Amino acid sequence: MLARGVSRSSVIQSLRVMLIPGRYGLERWSYVLQRVSGVVVSLYFIAHVLETGNFIGGITVWSVPEYSFAERAYEETVKLLKNPIFDVGLAVIGFLVGFHTINGIRLILAHFGFSLGRPKRPEPFTPPPSFSSKQRALFWLSISLAVFALLYTLDALTRVFRP
Amino acid sequence: MVEKVKFRVFRYRPEDGGRGFYKEYEVPVKKGMTILDGLIYIKENIDPTLSVRYSCRMAICGSCGVRVNGVETLACHTQVLELRRRTIRVEPMRNYPLVKDLVTDMTPLFRKQKALMTWLIRRDTVEQENPTKQYLQSEEELERYLQFTYCIQCGLCYSACPVVSTFPDFYGPQPLMKAYRYYADSRDEGGEERVRLVDRFEGVWRCHFAGSCSAVCPKGVDPALAIQLLRRSALKG
Ligand code: HEM
Ligand code: SF4
Ligand code: FES
Repeated sequence: MLARGVSRSSVIQSLRVMLIPGRYGLERWSYVLQRVSGVVVSLYFIAHVLETGNFIGGITVWSVPEYSFAERAYEETVKLLKNPIFDVGLAVIGFLVGFHTINGIRLILAHFGFSLGRPKRPEPFTPPPSFSSKQRALFWLSISLAVFALLYTLDALTRVFRP
Repeated sequence: MVEKVKFRVFRYRPEDGGRGFYKEYEVPVKKGMTILDGLIYIKENIDPTLSVRYSCRMAICGSCGVRVNGVETLACHTQVLELRRRTIRVEPMRNYPLVKDLVTDMTPLFRKQKALMTWLIRRDTVEQENPTKQYLQSEEELERYLQFTYCIQCGLCYSACPVVSTFPDFYGPQPLMKAYRYYADSRDEGGEERVRLVDRFEGVWRCHFAGSCSAVCPKGVDPALAIQLLRRSALKG
């Protein structure tokens, strides 16, 4: 269902602009990643509530189920989640959450006019003041934290790095 | 030395309606030749139906904005060999209605500038028209807005902005930057009125700091910075 005046091609165009950073540089990558991570983490949050709820039998929990039923629900959930696809998924979530937090703080600072350079006379081959080294450093910090979170999650699940 | 470079140019004829298409042209390129020179070569020697807009050919009038290999740039300010590609894709700017081929209708940009009153506001208009004295500014007062006066209204930033693409009501980088240019000018008396105009959903609050405006600006204007500074002013009230 599309609203009036919105054509299918304009929706595809919007998605392309939102999801493909192109060759516009680091700030555009930040925009795309912040969006994707925000939406994916929101979806994960819903999935996470359902998943943890399942351990205790989903909505049946309000009815005080039998012990055997609760045990079976628990076992089934554990079995379902013991799956390399979920492990990789969780590592990706780790990456996205790590990125979203620090980059979110970077964006909040920028949005309030902090950590940016001051207006100055344009010079060829010098980046605009809004792409300040503080802003860039925070971006790379968020990437570092994201990579760390990714490795940490994988390690916690597989124990590759700790025999 | 002459090299052959393939120009893959977007073509659109309004009378055909619907979608445009790409057409390829082989262009002999010499050192120093710009994308605009290449387009003029095509028009003069291969296909006179190609429409291009330009005037100054020296990056000062702001009429030749196009997208080259997916990034906004002035056709007259980009050298072909600098790109180091055998094929070069030339497309019209985004976020504007298309007139024909590479020519876009800049009306949205000018309409939004007008809505944000991007001109000097003085209460005493009689004095403004016939000044009786000089209105001096200090070095610091000048530095607060000088960067933003270099804008040539090419509209490249407006085309590169992903927010304008996904939410066309957003005022966009150039008009908001221009609003800040006057807001920060010590001679301007727009003050609160200016903040009121941009302190809305379609105004400063919609910017996501994707920075593409400042990345493509051929004049080093940094609209992204101006929007964040304007936002800070709006927050202070
Ligand atoms: C410390 C934690 C967090 C911080 C500092 C943070 C910060 C931010 C900021 C500043 C933005 C706006 C970016 C922009 O202007 O484009 C944003 C967008 C978003 N965030 Fe977060 N966030 C955090 C946690 C979360 C969580 C836990 C969720 C979901 C459950 C979430 C979901 C989203 C979504 C969906 C967006 C929209 C993306 C967009 O509009 O581009 N965030 N976040
Ligand atoms: S701010 Fe830069 S890119 Fe935008 S219209 Fe002005 S000169 Fe062009
Ligand atoms: S022709 Fe004037 S800016 Fe390119």
